[in-house]
Amino acid sequence: MTVLPVELQPALKDLLYRMADDALILGHRHSEWTGLGPILEEDIAFSSIAQDKIGHAYALYQPLHELGEPDPDRIAFFRDAPDFRCCHLVEYPNGGYDFSLMRHLLFDVAEQWRYHLLESSRYEPLARLARKVRGEIKYHVFHATQWVIQLGARGTEESHQRMQQALERVFPLALGIFEVTPYDELLAAEGIFPGERVLQERWLETISSVIEQATLQLPDPQTVVPAYGGRRGIHTEYLQPLLDEMGEVIRSEPDAEW
Amino acid sequence: MGGMWHLSSELAGSGMSAPRTVTIQSLDPRINRLRIPAELPEFTPKPMLDEWEPYEVFWKEKPGDQPVHVGTVRAPNPEMALVLAKEGYCRRGKTYTIWIVRTADIYTFSPDDTDIFATVPEKTYREPDAYKVVQKILRLKRQQQRERSSEEGE
Amino acid sequence: MYGNLSIVEPLNTEEREDPERVAEFEERIARGEKIEPGDWMPREYRRQVLRMVEQHAHSEIIGALPEGTWITRAPGFKRKLALMAKVQDEVGHAQLLYSAAETLGKPREQMINDLLSGKAKYSNVFNYPALTWADTAIIAWLIDAAAIINQTLNSKGSYGPYARALERICKEEAFHLKYGYDNVVTLASGTKRQRQMLQEALNRWWKPIMHFFGPPDSMSVHSEKLLRWKVKMASNDEMRQMFLDAYVPKIWELGLTIPDPKLRKNPETGKWEYSDPDWDEFWRVINGNGPCNRERLAVRRTADELGAWVRRALLKPNGRYVAPLF
Repeated sequence: MTVLPVELQPALKDLLYRMADDALILGHRHSEWTGLGPILEEDIAFSSIAQDKIGHAYALYQPLHELGEPDPDRIAFFRDAPDFRCCHLVEYPNGGYDFSLMRHLLFDVAEQWRYHLLESSRYEPLARLARKVRGEIKYHVFHATQWVIQLGARGTEESHQRMQQALERVFPLALGIFEVTPYDELLAAEGIFPGERVLQERWLETISSVIEQATLQLPDPQTVVPAYGGRRGIHTEYLQPLLDEMGEVIRSEPDAEW
Repeated sequence: MGGMWHLSSELAGSGMSAPRTVTIQSLDPRINRLRIPAELPEFTPKPMLDEWEPYEVFWKEKPGDQPVHVGTVRAPNPEMALVLAKEGYCRRGKTYTIWIVRTADIYTFSPDDTDIFATVPEKTYREPDAYKVVQKILRLKRQQQRERSSEEGE
Repeated sequence: MYGNLSIVEPLNTEEREDPERVAEFEERIARGEKIEPGDWMPREYRRQVLRMVEQHAHSEIIGALPEGTWITRAPGFKRKLALMAKVQDEVGHAQLLYSAAETLGKPREQMINDLLSGKAKYSNVFNYPALTWADTAIIAWLIDAAAIINQTLNSKGSYGPYARALERICKEEAFHLKYGYDNVVTLASGTKRQRQMLQEALNRWWKPIMHFFGPPDSMSVHSEKLLRWKVKMASNDEMRQMFLDAYVPKIWELGLTIPDPKLRKNPETGKWEYSDPDWDEFWRVINGNGPCNRERLAVRRTADELGAWVRRALLKPNGRYVAPLF
């Protein structure tokens, strides 16, 4: 096993926090559909995806714990918004299924590329996790792609319009996934992660092809303002209420077993 | 804009211009976010096929297995049937793969015709038990022995 | 999860059937054969099984709501994931059960219409609120335990598709029961506030739990034929006794108090005795006047409306409906 220098720790922690917080908050948002989905079969499918996301968050908080951070429950349920490193995309409330599906697609294509790039990471815990979750993420992308193509290209005028509007709303938020951090260069140089710029390029290529198959119009990335800030702890008004809700029970007896 | 811009128009109208209606107060914060009017709107029944067509799901636990029929899903087309059947029937345990087929494309006998499978018991010539080869071999061996000993005696 | 509601639709004894076919049908059941879709069956059998499976399906889909109340607030990863998986299973059970019911000739759309219009019944227990986190623990343990008693018995019933659906459901609910028990034991051995929360939840849920198996046999009529047809596998009181036998000692073991001073096992009869659990309230709730009936209906309708554009978008106007095979 490669021993990583201690100086790398802040960069590693930052990467793990960004990934884990994204997965936790999006999993939480997805889980809000449980029992309220558009059809029983989809309710079941989407709940599995939500569970996978929360499972990934848990799996990412563990190496953080090994790097000296508190245990996963403490990290996930007791921090407040400024300590979170998730992007704004995952914070927004669900709204309609159009918004949820489009967010799911744009997020999971990025996840698939991110984990793909991490399979060859020098940081073994991440490389191992990337190989382990490959199948789950593949299903998430398959699920999202099918839905968006069907509702965009094979549905009604109404569903096409809804998906187009959802795309326009979600796209700037999704660009916020790739907010460059001060650690990007170091992580790339050390062979841990090639960086957000590389990720965004790959992502845009895949997304463009799916969106084209869905007969939708991708906004010009040059003309939209990416929703940055999340990676620096600056969040939307929606995150703190979500965290208060998520922590309501566990924080009522913080030292008890639940 | 208020915090509810994201809600679909059927429910909350669009943001600030939405009329203030009395909504259901639930213990479930998810339900409160849906802002459901306390007065139930008129109910319009859903049309047939609103929940799409039935597809049958066949499941293989591991390579080499026969596919087993495990149930059904409603889906608008085969691609979506696969997407939806996967978590419906394979979220626990191991799965190698699944097959799906539109229920309307499956042909079977009418329940009244299942006696078509009743066959007379005399057709033993196609059952392995009907062939008592071992006894014949024993008989053959005894015969060979008898023949050998009578040859030696000559 | 499902409670016994067979009382709400009395058996129709007026229906005339060919006595020879009925006799043949009853012989099949007596031999332990399963009845499959398309087989000849008395109209009354079809009506009763359909009603039962349909109510069971509705109960699962509505049952997702009281526990769903705490999905966004479950304390910690383990509980959050387990609760999500449990509510997901309830939705999955509804999906399986609607398919099983459809084989008797009623399309899912019609069943959901009957649920959304308020015409159909579902298990009373889901018309009560899950006030605290401890309520979800009590539901997952005791309501699921009661449901498993009912479902395990019914999985030996005569209608093939329902029996098969129940077998799958019982396997999944084994996890629910273990999760619920673990949850309750954790709270019972926790802080003073956790224990208090648990006791209060038990107090709230005891009456609905006693109602769960339906009114006493003395109030139910016509169940003899349903037992002979293996539509019902045990009487309401028999199931209630099984539940009390299995779970009262477990509840007491945790140091909890059951809010019924008269509850005791009569050593002579071997039967549990208990106070009248207020059957008037049972009827009030069944008839739509429970604490959450209106909310449950409004939420289901809203969820259906929210997804309507998705379903409409992929609807094939020239598609053909056939009942699923199951």
